[in-house]
Amino acid sequence: MTLRELVERHQIVISAGSGGVGKTTVAASIALWGALAGRRAVVITIDPARRLASSLGLETLGSEAREIPAAFFAAQGLAAPRGSLAAMMLDQKGAWDALVERHAPAEARARILQNPFYQHLSQTFAGSQEYMAIEQLCLLAESGAYDLIVVDTPPTRHALDFLEAPKRIGDFLDRKVVKWFVRPYFSAGWSALRAMNRTVGFLLRRLEQATGISALAEISDFFTSMSGLFENFQPRVERAYKVLRGAETAFVLVTGPEEQVLGDAEYLSTKMAELHMPLKGVVLNRVHHEYRPAGRGARRGELEPEDAEQVTRAVATALGGAAGEAGELAANFVDYQALARGESLRLEMFRAGLPRAVPVVQVPNFARDVHDLASLAEMHAHLFGGKAAA
Amino acid sequence: MPASLLERRLHFVVGKGGVGKTTVAAALALTLARRGRRTLAVDMEPGRRLAGLLGREADPRLSVLHVDGRAALEEYLNLVIPVKRLLATVFASKIYQYFVAAAPGLKELMTVGKIWYEATRSEGGGPAWDAIVVDAPATGHSLQYLRMPQAARETFGAGLVQREASKITELLRDRRATAVHLVTLAEEMPVIETLEMRAQLTGALGLPLGYVIVNRLHRRRFDPAAVERLRAAAKTAPAPEQALLRCVVERAAEESGWSDINAANLARLHAGIGEAPLVELPFLFVEEFGPAELEQVARLLEAGMAGGAEAAARQRSRSS
Repeated sequence: MTLRELVERHQIVISAGSGGVGKTTVAASIALWGALAGRRAVVITIDPARRLASSLGLETLGSEAREIPAAFFAAQGLAAPRGSLAAMMLDQKGAWDALVERHAPAEARARILQNPFYQHLSQTFAGSQEYMAIEQLCLLAESGAYDLIVVDTPPTRHALDFLEAPKRIGDFLDRKVVKWFVRPYFSAGWSALRAMNRTVGFLLRRLEQATGISALAEISDFFTSMSGLFENFQPRVERAYKVLRGAETAFVLVTGPEEQVLGDAEYLSTKMAELHMPLKGVVLNRVHHEYRPAGRGARRGELEPEDAEQVTRAVATALGGAAGEAGELAANFVDYQALARGESLRLEMFRAGLPRAVPVVQVPNFARDVHDLASLAEMHAHLFGGKAAA
Repeated sequence: MPASLLERRLHFVVGKGGVGKTTVAAALALTLARRGRRTLAVDMEPGRRLAGLLGREADPRLSVLHVDGRAALEEYLNLVIPVKRLLATVFASKIYQYFVAAAPGLKELMTVGKIWYEATRSEGGGPAWDAIVVDAPATGHSLQYLRMPQAARETFGAGLVQREASKITELLRDRRATAVHLVTLAEEMPVIETLEMRAQLTGALGLPLGYVIVNRLHRRRFDPAAVERLRAAAKTAPAPEQALLRCVVERAAEESGWSDINAANLARLHAGIGEAPLVELPFLFVEEFGPAELEQVARLLEAGMAGGAEAAARQRSRSS
């Protein structure tokens, strides 16, 4: 299968990978391709570069998906798509607040939004942002408004956090524990707790004294106000995994050619298999071009790309004898060649570890910022065109 | 005085993910150890890449420590409540897990607290370490850590933690003891984040800014006119050379493209960064980044820091 067929056959495409590999750009490019091919596409972005955001019409923050008007395409040198392209930016805090708005009783909302425990949970709890991206994905999938949903994942050191987020949030909001916190006597203070477990009660009280915060009352208050929502949380987590593992969902791993990034990618693909979320495609992004002479080794006198002197001579001859410039140009070529050779060796090993059926495409390291729709479209030749690597 | 930046005891290395922060932290630790200072490199990420980079260094003056918030909190509680048997029960309890999750920033505070402890700990009548280099997590996250002691001092009620937080804040703000170095690339998003980070660090947090280190910089190496001449010449070159010459032209164009992007963003960085001394590290064209490359980065960093300090001193003497 090719990446083209993969995107054609799936409703949901998730762009996964560690931070700084160009996930957002790849996600936007895939969604744009779908729209140009006649699909109703939407891309959920997390933290796009500003100029990319404005190319997608996302200058103002908003958790609503917005269709990119035809005028945007024309202004950026593209024909209006046969389908449509919408974009949204995940605003984590906004998404949690919306969840509260939807599920908490009106009189409790203000209290929840101001609860320090809630603020902590919605802003910094590990997995919280990832969970919200999945929650958004489920909502869009259920709305039936789109037939191609492309999700950019949050910039974590380990993309695995994304996959484990629903479980982690689910465990945290475990019904049994939450119920326990919701017991009315709990918010009354410590006396009740002491009766339950003297040791824990005593020590936690010391802890509260030491820190000077009354965490337990806040937790209790939060869960009491939100009980309606979290009673139903486990089914939400299950629904999230159903979507993530569904036949209509394709995980596409985006990675760069650097040692550490590839190491992360390898780990991720192994872990995904364990979690029954098969990796369906790989994009090797920002790869440097390696020069491979045709029929190398077969003919005598073939130029060796590693041989700076030979390259310098060839350049000097072509330039008509400007030795200084020729030396610099040749040295630059040899530098890039070393970089590219290291990358190609690592990528070869990485590919050998992937299941054969997984399509792998290679996108070159463009020496410019990819920020507008036209340059996103230029990636299509590498992602979906005849250049797709076998 | 910036010349004293390297003499400071506590170095935080911060920056956006993917800019080479860990490499710079490792190179800085190596430089300090080579200068004869007993140096502790602190790793905060579960991946422990810093240890991986420095693990091959056999310098007895260099040690690596992994600090984990949860473990640091438990260690701290062991000090406060010295009944180990009881504490084991607490750590295992679900309520404790909630407490840790709920107390905003407690883990972050404990992490910085542990670093503070190492920075102030004595051994054999003197300080245990001459220098500590912290490889901080990605930008947003490291702000959370650096903000914590101050936030704790202001928001936590009177208590042991508040008193500890005051001491930590004092050390972090001490211009003779601490420096926060920012690592960035000369590209759009990293520069935006670096300028935002600088504003926050030197503004509300009042932390002493160290070097701004621009990593993986491409510099213009040749005249664009020569590239165009070669492009034209390649078209008429004989077959064996033609493919090679085309490739030479493409790589030259690639390098020019990146050096233009880097130059434009470096200018934006210069305009926004104020007086902070800037260190520029060149892009390294290597097949594989190994100990020899780390060594090279350490040398470039040390040379750049000395140069940056001189430049800043010149600027200062001009402005005074």
